[in-house]
Amino acid sequence: MRTTLAILRKELSVYFTTPVAWVVLVVVAFFSAQVFAGSLDGFRLLTTRAGEIPGGAALLDRVNLTDAVVARLFGSVGLFLVVTTPFLSMRLVAEERRTGTFELLMTAPIRPVEIVAGKYLASLVVLAAALLLVALFPAFLSVAGRGAQGGGAIEWPTVAAGLLGLFLLGAAALAVGLAFSALAGTPVVAALLSLLVLLGLWLAGLFTVGAGGAARNLAAGLSASEHLAPFLQGRIALPDVLYYLSLCALGLFVAERAVEGRRWA
Amino acid sequence: MIEVSGLTKRFRDRTAVLDLSFSIGRGEVVGLLGPNGAGKTTTLRLLTGYLPATSGTVRVAGFDVFEEPRQARRHIGYLPEVPPLYDAMTVRRQLRFAAELKGLGRALLPAEVDRVAGLTGVTEVLDRLTSNLSKGFRQRVGIAQALVGDPDVLVLDEPTVGLDPIQIREVRDLVRTLGGRHTVILSSHLLPEVAMTCSKVLVLNAGRLVDFDTLDGLIARHLPGRKVTLDDIAFLEEIFGKLVTPA
Repeated sequence: MRTTLAILRKELSVYFTTPVAWVVLVVVAFFSAQVFAGSLDGFRLLTTRAGEIPGGAALLDRVNLTDAVVARLFGSVGLFLVVTTPFLSMRLVAEERRTGTFELLMTAPIRPVEIVAGKYLASLVVLAAALLLVALFPAFLSVAGRGAQGGGAIEWPTVAAGLLGLFLLGAAALAVGLAFSALAGTPVVAALLSLLVLLGLWLAGLFTVGAGGAARNLAAGLSASEHLAPFLQGRIALPDVLYYLSLCALGLFVAERAVEGRRWA
Repeated sequence: MIEVSGLTKRFRDRTAVLDLSFSIGRGEVVGLLGPNGAGKTTTLRLLTGYLPATSGTVRVAGFDVFEEPRQARRHIGYLPEVPPLYDAMTVRRQLRFAAELKGLGRALLPAEVDRVAGLTGVTEVLDRLTSNLSKGFRQRVGIAQALVGDPDVLVLDEPTVGLDPIQIREVRDLVRTLGGRHTVILSSHLLPEVAMTCSKVLVLNAGRLVDFDTLDGLIARHLPGRKVTLDDIAFLEEIFGKLVTPA
């Protein structure tokens, strides 16, 4: 436990003394701001035009800032996480192997599972920091959008469910990335492989379009984005939670085996 | 302190180490000598448990390094071929991290860092980044890192490689002072180094142990009748030549 914390602290200091974590945070914040501004503008247009068309008022009763702005923002943040997390996880093990510090870790009186746990927890801290930045947007709306036309209120339970979904998505992505970092020889290869797999999982949802029956179910079942959608609407369903948790478990299991197995090479 | 028996390591297509058996007593400083590719690094990696053996056992301080790795490793300080240092860390942070990995409590860390830094002469660079250090200092920080937690056994893989003559002498003097308190096994292909720092020599060739004796014993057996002083290191070159390239 103490050694896990030592590794956690060491990884955090590496994250924040090198540009990696900062770049990821800036990228997530910057693109979130773009999407946020765009969605907000769309919502403003909708509310001003709603009065001009018949039945517009009824339409406004069914949309609010949470659905029209925050859910759209979070949907995009999901993609940002898929694209950026490989850069957070890539060096966790591969860099230690490349520079030889792996030998220090593997000859210390600690178990591989403690190494993997410490590294994984550090990456989760950076993920949480990124989501904290993202959470500032709905927080801002709840202050600035108070009393806005057509349901300006921020539905915090829905926002919380969305953040939970994003955290689960990010955690699963980091576990997959950590596994590739432990398997690959260099950080760059680790990043490319995890990016490939994660984008594949994210885009698997596309194959539900026009497909039927079993193929549709399979694509939807594998898709990381399909499983995120219910969270964004405020629904926390067991199958979706289990989907992400099993990806986490699978990634961490492979990572632990690969770290242990490094000595058996 | 170190007991090795029947130690063999095969990689996919070649045998790196074959049937090594030897034991090293407490406080001895032993040199592991051999030409490049003889299996020195592999042997040391096996001793520290970094590599698993194909067969055979290694016991350090009474613990089997493969069966009870955590207990055994508490007694081992290891300097790999390339000192394992994190570029983004200061020397102080690096040594602190190494001490934490050894399981030292937080209250003990500052004193332990100062102790090993003092022993290895790196106190003046404690607050510099390891990436900005000269090779000599990197090597010394690596040795300081191995000394953290005051382990019974020190395993040093080519501790003087790449250093200038003055640094080599400093490291040699340091290693000599470590004997007695620590059991030291160091690898080298430099004969003077071994002659000057070690009480016993293990000679490895093509993965096999070809001799293991004190310097006096080696001289008596391989250069019978010759009077040799330990200051004249050419004798070891002659013995080494006989052992690794038998006529």
